[in-house]
Amino acid sequence: MSALAARQREFARRLLDGPVDGEAGLAVYRASVLSNFTTALAATYPVVLRLVGESFFAEAARRFATAHPSTSGDLNQYGDQFPAFLAAYPHAASLPYLPDVARLEWACHESERAPEVAPFDFEALARIEPDRYGELRFSLHPSVRLMESAHPVVAIREANAPGRDGTPSRAEGRDFVLVRRVDGGAVVSSLDEGEWRLLSRIGGGEAAFDDSLARYVSQGVIAGFTAPPCER
Amino acid sequence: MTARACGRAGVGIGLRAQHLREILERLPALAFVEVHSENYFGDVAAAALERVRRDYAVSLHGVGLSLGSSDPLDEQHLAKLDELARRIDPIFVSDHLSWSSIDGRFLNELLPLPFTREAAAHTASRISRAQDRLGRVLLVENVSAYCTLGPGEMSEWEFVSEVARRSGCRLLLDVNNIHVNAANLGFDGQRYIEGIDPALVAQFHLGGHEARDAMLVDTHGARVAREVWSLFAEAVSHIGERPTLVEWDTDLPPLDVLLDEARAARLVIADGAARAAA
Repeated sequence: MSALAARQREFARRLLDGPVDGEAGLAVYRASVLSNFTTALAATYPVVLRLVGESFFAEAARRFATAHPSTSGDLNQYGDQFPAFLAAYPHAASLPYLPDVARLEWACHESERAPEVAPFDFEALARIEPDRYGELRFSLHPSVRLMESAHPVVAIREANAPGRDGTPSRAEGRDFVLVRRVDGGAVVSSLDEGEWRLLSRIGGGEAAFDDSLARYVSQGVIAGFTAPPCER
Repeated sequence: MTARACGRAGVGIGLRAQHLREILERLPALAFVEVHSENYFGDVAAAALERVRRDYAVSLHGVGLSLGSSDPLDEQHLAKLDELARRIDPIFVSDHLSWSSIDGRFLNELLPLPFTREAAAHTASRISRAQDRLGRVLLVENVSAYCTLGPGEMSEWEFVSEVARRSGCRLLLDVNNIHVNAANLGFDGQRYIEGIDPALVAQFHLGGHEARDAMLVDTHGARVAREVWSLFAEAVSHIGERPTLVEWDTDLPPLDVLLDEARAARLVIADGAARAAA
C-alpha cells in the first residue's frame, strides 16, 4: 500500500468516525461533508423533508450517510437507498406512507436524468397491419417509472408541493403511479389499475396491446416497438 | 467565442440553476459562464446547457474526478464528462487538485493532498490519463484547506507547480483559496503567487469566504474579501491577465450582485494592465 493511500484511508476514517475534538480542521471537513450529503438528499426528497421537518430530516440524513456511503463523484447519484433506509428507520414508523413517498421522489429524480431516445416511429407502425399490433413488443421511454403503493402517494406529493397546505385530497387508497418526463421535468399521475398493469407488462418486455395504448404513444410514454419477423 | 465575449482575458461568473432563466433573458456581457459539470450530465440537462452555449462561452468545472485519490480513476465519470464536453465545446474543462474518495467510498468533498513527491507523481499520472481520455488539456484548481494530510516535502505552490509540469495540465489559480490557506495553514499568500510560473496559469477564480472560530472557511457564500482583491491584484501583476471567474454557491444572491463582483474584477485587471503599461 502506498503512503498516499494510507494517509487518505486514515484521514477518511478520522473524518467519518473518529473524534474531532481539538481538531478544528477535521471538524470543518466533517461538517462540510455532512452538509453536502444532507443538501443533496433534501434536493431529491423535498416532500419527505416537508413531511418530517428539517431537524428530523437532518438526523435521518446523518444516519443514512453513515450507513450508506456515496459511491460516485456525482452527488446526483446519491440517495437511491434512502427509501429503503426510511422503511427500516424506527423513528419514521408512525408515517407508514413515508418510504413510498420517498420511492416516488427517487423515481422522479431518475426520470429527469434518464437518457433521451428517438421519437416514436409512426411510419414504421403504419406499415404493420392493425390486427398484428398484439404481436408487437412496445417499449417504454427510458424516463418512465411505474410504481404501486398501498398509500395515496400522488395526492400526498401534490399536497406538499411548494405553496400547498399539505392536506392531501385523499387520505387512503392504493395508487398505481406513472412517472413520465415532460419538458425536462417529471410529471406524476395516478392510473387506472388495468392500464398500469398493461404498461408494467410492456415494461417487463412482454408483447401486449389494447386500444388504450394509443394515448400512451401520443404522450411519449411508449417510445418504440419491435415487430416479430414478417411471414409472407 | 461569442460576440459578447469581452476580449482575450475577460471575466465570467459561475452560473447556477436559479439564475439560468434570468441570464438568458437579460444576456449580460460576460466573457464566459462556468457551470458544475456533474449537474449537466444526461440528455435533458445537457440540452439546457446547449441553450446557454448559444449565447455564452461555457467552462465546465467538475468536482467529481477525485484526481488525487489512490482509487482507480472513475472511467464511467470520465465518459460522461467526455460526452458533455463533446456536446458543449467548452472553453475550459477543469477539476480540482484534491481527492474525494478512498476504497470506493466517496466523501464528495475536495480534500487536501499531502505535499509529497509521491502524491505529486501519482496525481500527475491520473491527470495525464484523464487528459488522454478527454483529448484535451485539463485545468486543475488549488483547493482550500483546513488542515494538512500529514507532513510534506515541499510548499503548496511547489506541489501544484510540480503536478502541472509533470502532467502538462494548466493551473486554475483560485486566489481566495490561496488567501484562506495562507490564514489557516500559516504561510504568506504573496510568496505563493510569486512561486508560480506564469506560464502554468490559465485561469483565475475569485470567491467569498467566512471566518468561523479561528478558521477561514471557503463557503462561496459572500462577496470577495478586500484582502483577496489585493492578492488578486498581485496575481495579475505577477502572472498577467487571465480569464477570471467570480463564483458563488451558498446563499446565492441576486444575479446583479455577481455582475457587480465581475465588474470589480474587471477594474482590478484594467488597473493591473495600466500599471504594467506605465
